[in-house]
Amino acid sequence: MKQLVEIIQNHFPINDIDLRKKSLAFISIHQNQAIPLLEWLKTTHGYTAFVLLTAVDWIEENRFQLTYLISNPENFTELGVRVFIDREKAEMVSAHHLWKSIWVYQRELKEMFGINFPDSPRVNESFILEGWDTIPPYRRDFDTKQYSEETYFPRPGRSTNDPAKHMKSKLYPKD
Amino acid sequence: MSLKDVLTPFTAWKRIAKEPVTVIDPFNDRPGADRYRGFHQNDVEKCIGCGTCEAICENEAIDMVPFKDPISGDSGLRPSLDYGRCCWCALCVDVCTTNSLKLSNEYTWITTDPEDFRFTPGVDKKSWDENDKGWVKPEPNYEFYNTQRVEMEHLHPEERVDSFIEMVKGYSHEQALAEADRCVECGICIATCPAHMGIPEYIKAIRNEDLEEGLRILYETNPLPEICGRICTHKCETVCSIGYKGDPLSIRWLKRYIADQVPSERYQSILNTNDINNNGKRIAIIGSGPAGLSAAHYLALMGYQCTIFEQYEKAGGMMRYGIPEYRLPYDQIDKDIDYILSLGVEIKYNTRVGRDITLDQLSQDFDAVFSGTGLHLGRSTGIEGSDNEHVYYSTDLLRQITEGKDIEVAEHIVVIGGGNVAMDITRSLARMQKVKYGKVNIIATSLEKEENMPADREEVVESREEGAVLMPGWAPQRIEIQHGRPTGLHVVKCNSLFDDTGRFNPQCDMEVKNFFEGSMIVQSIGQGMDLSYVDEKWMEGLSFGPRGRVKTNEYFQTDLEWFFMGGDIIEGPDVIHGIANGHKAAIGIDRYLQNLKD
Repeated sequence: MKQLVEIIQNHFPINDIDLRKKSLAFISIHQNQAIPLLEWLKTTHGYTAFVLLTAVDWIEENRFQLTYLISNPENFTELGVRVFIDREKAEMVSAHHLWKSIWVYQRELKEMFGINFPDSPRVNESFILEGWDTIPPYRRDFDTKQYSEETYFPRPGRSTNDPAKHMKSKLYPKD
Repeated sequence: MSLKDVLTPFTAWKRIAKEPVTVIDPFNDRPGADRYRGFHQNDVEKCIGCGTCEAICENEAIDMVPFKDPISGDSGLRPSLDYGRCCWCALCVDVCTTNSLKLSNEYTWITTDPEDFRFTPGVDKKSWDENDKGWVKPEPNYEFYNTQRVEMEHLHPEERVDSFIEMVKGYSHEQALAEADRCVECGICIATCPAHMGIPEYIKAIRNEDLEEGLRILYETNPLPEICGRICTHKCETVCSIGYKGDPLSIRWLKRYIADQVPSERYQSILNTNDINNNGKRIAIIGSGPAGLSAAHYLALMGYQCTIFEQYEKAGGMMRYGIPEYRLPYDQIDKDIDYILSLGVEIKYNTRVGRDITLDQLSQDFDAVFSGTGLHLGRSTGIEGSDNEHVYYSTDLLRQITEGKDIEVAEHIVVIGGGNVAMDITRSLARMQKVKYGKVNIIATSLEKEENMPADREEVVESREEGAVLMPGWAPQRIEIQHGRPTGLHVVKCNSLFDDTGRFNPQCDMEVKNFFEGSMIVQSIGQGMDLSYVDEKWMEGLSFGPRGRVKTNEYFQTDLEWFFMGGDIIEGPDVIHGIANGHKAAIGIDRYLQNLKD
């Protein structure tokens, strides 16, 4: 992988190089260079298999991280290409022209993180969240508990006890 | 089609003798994966009902419901699940402080009654209770909080053994924040603290970097935070929920951090005690130890004019005259006491009740009397030679060291006792030996074996670091006296302390003997109370319970309505019990004087 990374460095401005093991490495690249890099790796270095596309919400840094994991079936190596995009303008060029299956991932990321992939097939259709009407649930500022309280009715008969207050009421009620 | 294409499918035959990885009968047998997150299991005997599972649940699927009566360290509550809301994310398992909660890999459950889907794992029996597969928190290094406490920095033994300067350095800002961040806010500790301090709240104030709020929370239940932040017995830490998988939270040091950071000039303003209305009633308090000071503080806040009668030159009782300065510096004692004095509390120093003024007089001059005179009389072993003038009580020596008096420091010393006071005098004398002789030569021996020594573990370790030799498990028999002074202590092996009924009944092997050389012997086997200040006519009005302790009600009121007693003479002995007693007695005195008795 080290050799491959050196070759990539001669063609693309990459950083955050993480040689995880013999068959796995991660690199980061600027948003504008990511799709050309993936295309170059697919056509000239045998990374023909798309494994997955996932995202992380780095809310403190006001950006999303996208990770494209691609594989070379000939030498059984995998490469993770990381891209950081502005959280306020959560949009990335679609890669569905490289791998047909990627549109499913892009549609999921649109729904769960609100990251748009313009022109990706069916990207605006609901994936699993039918009728979702608030901020995407995988964004870190989505308040799961508040949503739960507002959306689901309280079940009759439920009650709870705070441990400290319960102990006081039983062990030292007058203090 | 190539030959390879024809032959390749036959490579599958190499697996013919291997166990299939597919499910043979998926209609009747559909086990979840080994680490599948299925239905909950809870080991209710391991669970302490801390409620962190409920707190972390984003779906409000967990209620804490009564399972048994609470005891110290166990709320008696257990988590109950509502499977109408659970999403099996397993956060409850991952945060569980005792590792009692797990998810089995069972995931099918059919019932016609939706209420069945509310259940208490481990209490309501389920078919998957014995299932040993499923989601268990991976170990190690998979905790939501740091299991290791932020180590407190101490002076190195060689730095501290020849001086009385404070050996515990205290937390820095960064250290305190990191340590406070470990608290899961369960509140299990509150019940165990005798003063029921708002521990999670003041630790939260540290996290919020709002130390003024932290100070206000401390003073709600404890007016001696500098003192308690240093020498509290910190029983709260013994039940800390995060201590089950690592170090308990350093609650005592965090309390000290708050008090250390707030300058004394700011106390009145922060605690809003600049302007207290006097209600015209007067309370006499005997003794300025933790109980007396605590009572004075809370009574002063209620508007009572308090006068403390203190037999010694300075206030603090055993905190000043019994605890060495390297553990509790005098200026920190003064900081706490000066604030209490700023509330209008008066102390009459060098005034011993029973000698300089009678209890009878106090009963006439004041509306109520509180006594917190503590345990300051040394107890003798009663063995042969113990009446020699070079055989001392630890309480006397510790007081004389505080007073700055010259005391005898022999080159070879033996201390009898295994408690904290024994460690205090051992370590104090070790320092003085180091200064006088350039080396430490002191033996501390106790009836108890090492694992049963009543002294705090850290005291035992630090004593050794400072050069003391500890010899636990020996029973003193006789002090050898030659030419008018001791030459050492004869002991025999002590095999057990208590009999089958739990009664103190030491069993010794008289054939296994030892001799500890020392020309000075210190007895430190406990302290006794001195009630000689109670006039005979009032003594008759008191009733006594076990171990000669005066009987009081829940507000520490004796059978004499105007006379309240608390602190070590009633409960403990330790500082935090004294503080709690003084607080409760202050409430009791107020109720009594306002005729609010039940």
